[in-house]
Amino acid sequence: MSDAINIGSVDDIDEGEAKVIPADENGTGEDIAVFHAEDGNFYALNDTCTHETASLADGWIEGVEVECPVHSAKFCLKTGEALCMPATIAARTHKVEVQDGEVLLYPNVPVEA
Amino acid sequence: MSLNSVTIVGGGMAGFTVAKELRSRGFEGVLTVVDPAGLPYDRPPLSKDYLLGKRGAEDIRFSPAAWFEEHKVDVVTGTATALRPDEGTVVLADGAELAADRIVLATGGHARRLAIPGGDLESVLELRTREDADRLRSLLTPGTRLAIVGAGLIGAEVASSALAFGAEVVLIDPVDPPLVPAVGPELARRLHDMHAEYGIKVVTGIPTAITADEAGHHIRMGEHGSIDADVVLVGIGIVPETALAESAGLDTDNGTLVDESQRTSHPRVYAAGDSARTRLADGTLLRRAEHWEHAMFAGETAAAALLEQDLPVHGASWFWSDRHGVHVEGVGSMAAEGTTIIREAAGKPAIALRVDPEGYLVGCAAIDGGLAVRAARRIIDRRILVDRDKLADPSIDLKKLAR
Repeated sequence: MSDAINIGSVDDIDEGEAKVIPADENGTGEDIAVFHAEDGNFYALNDTCTHETASLADGWIEGVEVECPVHSAKFCLKTGEALCMPATIAARTHKVEVQDGEVLLYPNVPVEA
Repeated sequence: MSLNSVTIVGGGMAGFTVAKELRSRGFEGVLTVVDPAGLPYDRPPLSKDYLLGKRGAEDIRFSPAAWFEEHKVDVVTGTATALRPDEGTVVLADGAELAADRIVLATGGHARRLAIPGGDLESVLELRTREDADRLRSLLTPGTRLAIVGAGLIGAEVASSALAFGAEVVLIDPVDPPLVPAVGPELARRLHDMHAEYGIKVVTGIPTAITADEAGHHIRMGEHGSIDADVVLVGIGIVPETALAESAGLDTDNGTLVDESQRTSHPRVYAAGDSARTRLADGTLLRRAEHWEHAMFAGETAAAALLEQDLPVHGASWFWSDRHGVHVEGVGSMAAEGTTIIREAAGKPAIALRVDPEGYLVGCAAIDGGLAVRAARRIIDRRILVDRDKLADPSIDLKKLAR
């Protein structure tokens, strides 16, 4: 189990917004997007859409889903599941915890189903 | 009656979606997709990443072969040549017959040919299938003179892609600028002007004849002389593929006519996608849609209707296009009655918002403005009345106006 990265205060990411933790900072080799969903919770997925190159952090966040800003594939923020075409492959999840108002990202630790 | 088997003719977006949705909605009967190309694939990359060789045949499949096995969707590589709707039978070119409780026609369309002398030349290319893209790619080399007739979505995208091969591109369209109904005049102007900025020769005019000889093709432009080209591609829209429906006696009118459940005039036959056209209960014929998402939505509706489930609700139509490194999207109608509000980025029109006389947003188009279009889509679908000054104020995030 890898160590957590403190990506900042819960107040740094508004609800409905996301922040990208670049590959060289998170150590996974892939950019990770941390989303502040409309259910109030934080979730993390690999930032690059599984369909074509696009940043999910730039997407439309609604409820606990993110819609890719390019071709409108939707992903479940909780599970990474691809919810509609053109994406058919799930996005990789990473565990996120909030402790004492700080958002902790666990790169490479998948969310348990 | 209980539904035990469905045959889907056509493995494009609509046909594949019907299969996928039938399974995800719990259908456990026999499910067959017939397509001459075999495993279903996605067409938008054909003018972009697939043409460029960045993605291969397997990369553009909707789902890998294993998905079809796992979900027991039988893919028959073949061409349907006749229907016997009363029996639920589809006849294939090799004589094989497939019988099912229901048939879904998702036959799409074929590329419209130029109705001029030489428009039917075998060497005049079109782009509709993977094979078409393979052939076009094989002909594009540095210095190839490529003439494209039609500067709509496919023509503009191929023009952009062909530059990567070092081709010398001429783009011909009778209208200057094209795409005004889709994105409004302001964005259409900016998009069309980009072609010349990237070194494409843009010609406004109408070809009157095409001839071919050892030196290549010659496109006659009436009084405006002639354009010489090694390769000619025509992208002037599609003709819906309704031959099967017509021969089976189904109602057609520039498309196989369907009701809002995608049911044709025969109770055992449904139709969805580019080939289908909606006829409302009062007889009104809607305009036939040819966009990717529409085909997906129509496939979802057909699947729900086949299973007698509630029909999904879909809002304003949406499309996209990629060319010259920019991403274009449109939602709703930019041609509806009303006025247009433009938001600029770096001094150029970037977002166009169409507002109807009552003040409701009815359309939006954007260049590199995906979030604006997503916001606009929700504003349109939710009938949110937004103040015009706020729509026009670039400091106000459209996303905030959609909530």
